[in-house]
Amino acid sequence: MIFSTLEHILTHISFSVVSIVISIHLITLLVNEIVGLYDSSEKGMIITFFCITGLLVTRWIFSSHLPFSDLYESLIFLSWGFSIFHMIPCLQNHLSTIIAPSVLFTQGFATSGLLTKIHQSAILVPALQSHWLMMHVSMMILSYAALLCGSLLSVAILVITVREVIQIVRKSNNLYFLNELFSFAEIKYINLNERNNVLQKTSFFSYRNYYKSQFIQQLDRWGYRIISLGFIFLTIGILSGAVWANEAWGSYWNWDPKETWAFITWTVFAIYLHTRKNKKLEGVNSSMVASMGFFLIWICYFGINLLGIGLHSYGSFISN
Amino acid sequence: MSPLNSSNPCLPKTHFLKVPTFDPFFKFKSFSFNTHIPPNRAHALSFSINSKLKSSQDIQNNKGKKGVSQKIVLSEVTPPPLTENNDDINGGSGNGNENVPAKSRNKRGVSGLAKMLSKRTLQILSNLPLAIGEMFTIAALMALGTFIDQGEPPEHYFQQYPEDHPVLGFFTWRWVLALGFDHMYSSPVFLGMLVLLGASLMACTYTTQIPLVKVSRRWSFLHSAETIRKQEFSESLPRASIEDVGTILMGSGYEVFLKGPCLYAFKGLAGRLAPIGVHIALLLIMAGGTLSALGSFKGSVTVPQGLNFVAGDVLGPTGFLSSPNEDFNTEIHVNRFFMDYYDSGEVSQFHSDLSLFNMDGKEVMRKTISVNDPLRYGGITIYQTDWSISALQILKNNEGPYNLAMAPLQINGDKKLYGTFMPIGDVNSSDVKGISMLARDLQSIVLYDADGKFAGIRRPNSKLPININGTEIVILDAIGSSGLDLKTDPGVPIVYAGFGALMLTTCISYLSHSQVWALQDGTSVVIGGKSNRAKMEFPEEMNRLLDKVPEIVQSSLSEQAGGIRG
Repeated sequence: MIFSTLEHILTHISFSVVSIVISIHLITLLVNEIVGLYDSSEKGMIITFFCITGLLVTRWIFSSHLPFSDLYESLIFLSWGFSIFHMIPCLQNHLSTIIAPSVLFTQGFATSGLLTKIHQSAILVPALQSHWLMMHVSMMILSYAALLCGSLLSVAILVITVREVIQIVRKSNNLYFLNELFSFAEIKYINLNERNNVLQKTSFFSYRNYYKSQFIQQLDRWGYRIISLGFIFLTIGILSGAVWANEAWGSYWNWDPKETWAFITWTVFAIYLHTRKNKKLEGVNSSMVASMGFFLIWICYFGINLLGIGLHSYGSFISN
Repeated sequence: MSPLNSSNPCLPKTHFLKVPTFDPFFKFKSFSFNTHIPPNRAHALSFSINSKLKSSQDIQNNKGKKGVSQKIVLSEVTPPPLTENNDDINGGSGNGNENVPAKSRNKRGVSGLAKMLSKRTLQILSNLPLAIGEMFTIAALMALGTFIDQGEPPEHYFQQYPEDHPVLGFFTWRWVLALGFDHMYSSPVFLGMLVLLGASLMACTYTTQIPLVKVSRRWSFLHSAETIRKQEFSESLPRASIEDVGTILMGSGYEVFLKGPCLYAFKGLAGRLAPIGVHIALLLIMAGGTLSALGSFKGSVTVPQGLNFVAGDVLGPTGFLSSPNEDFNTEIHVNRFFMDYYDSGEVSQFHSDLSLFNMDGKEVMRKTISVNDPLRYGGITIYQTDWSISALQILKNNEGPYNLAMAPLQINGDKKLYGTFMPIGDVNSSDVKGISMLARDLQSIVLYDADGKFAGIRRPNSKLPININGTEIVILDAIGSSGLDLKTDPGVPIVYAGFGALMLTTCISYLSHSQVWALQDGTSVVIGGKSNRAKMEFPEEMNRLLDKVPEIVQSSLSEQAGGIRG
């Protein structure tokens, strides 16, 4: 009882802190001068991180197994992964505007009514009782977090580039929201640079365009870095899963839907990494590939689980 | 000075002597370099000398002025060996296949033609857009494979993809069956694409990556400030000495090479070479997977507790390379099958106590296996994958014991359900009535009377009798049967080696290969550099490092020799 209360408290704290952080982000974008608020949003993310960590630990103690066994727990872990990437100091300025909403969405989705049925921490079916569980699932979810961050950056590049060409895109509601989000990020980035007094020589006319291309380049390079990191996690995750599968049900590769989709995701991000090798394909093409990867991760993560097919539909393991 | 000297074998001693001989010396040197530019190589903008020295020790051997003079001779006599590969050094990214055809011109004749053809094939295969296309196709085919139900009989596809309502206007069962998409992951289209991708991997490794190794093992000095300024990162430090730059770079893990006024430093070379390892690991996994597919034996069996079977009877070959060995005669005896439960009654784990007997009837191995804990003997691996209930052992009115066979009543879904029926009264009458017994696991059995009403629950081993319709029943035991999967797979060691290599090399690939060039130009040092992956972190790192480079004050320069760095 105490555990579930604690869990509730922590969930709500983290959720509300993230919401506050996001509103702070929006405020700082509208009113540039308040630096103090920006700092407090950083602190807010740290509080969120500790809350989610506490949440995971509580569940761990409560259910006496690692909290990776169902969708709810993996979502919480995903937002924990996001907040970890947020904590990496060198990324903070560039990414917080993208990561904070991601944490909010995953956290919100995890706690929303959609998944109430599986809130109760379930028992581990026999096949999940393995040391590989921790390795495989944590690596997979960390890789999802990193790849989602990286491919969101690529989506941002696409949105910025496309917006230059076609203004009509704004009419679409969803994209409009994305646009807002990323133009905020852009404005903030410009402000940051303004403060640093970098490159004052640039004339006022080309000022915006210059920073736009600079900003796109920055996004591109950070995206590449984060996706490479996520790719490492994904590789380790898939391979440890394969080794585990060889231990648990006798074959390291079964062409199970989830496995297949993880492999498709892997292939697509491998393509992304290769497009970076070629000067001709770099830029918009590679970000298109990465944005494709963004949707593939969601299919791989949710689609397969919600369809409930294959061996990975958490719960209906092994007992065919 | 002395600690620097000892910690830095690449810095020849003579360089320290050069520091006091400041401006005029350096200016003269850079001038003398410019005079040596041959007119026919003016297009190269600079003349870059690519030294093939392999290690820092070599430099030490060419200390001081001897080194300098030798270098100048080098530039005149031997043309820089890497001029055509300059793109590789500077661009660095896999465009190396362009250097291949240049060499093949000289060969003539039939063998030459064959060589040309194979070169051409290699060139086509190692084409990056082609490889990307292959990967996209494979990804698309795999995705398609998850949408089309796999391994169903043809009738299923007739129904799902009828000819009168084609999916997307053209996709009917004819497509599915003709292309073999009902078994996508073994269809010729899919396997063909995989083979093609494997060939591309090999070609790319051979034509692009291996030459890259040769290139990146040499280190090249840049001798013109212009070229250095053209790098992605460039900076000019007034009143600094190149040795200080070298020391500081070395302090943050760079390999530093100094030659006269030129400096070359690099870090993270492994990051540039690791992709080769990634490709080789992928080829290993492909090879292992092929061997697994062609040379395995597989089989599954459900054995009631107390019975036995011979491994070879269960195992069936999967490909033409599968050949049985003598371990297939092993007899496997299921001594005991039991399950663990959570407090809530759910099954937590199931175990089988197995004994292996060889041909002579001698027990060679005994192990209790469970899910995630298989038994390995010879080449055979035995997995615990499933369970069921085979029989109930009961006493009827203190007679028996009788074994009642249990039948699965519910196969789909998470929960299993087994049931059996014990007739009472006249068995030969047309309307047989009896007691039904249902079980979800080996823990408890639910009994219903002849009218189908709930009568009670009994645990096996409890010896507690239950009286239904005048019959006293004691449930002695519930006998489970163990679902075992048997497998031999010769590909596993290769695949695992590939897995290990892939994980390692992917991690190493994250390292960024950073290269730094510097040139002492008068009192100032021109520094340029680039990094192939960490394009954001690299300028930051360089700025941080260059902030540490001490500024040389003229007066102290003339007074002290090398003590500035102290």
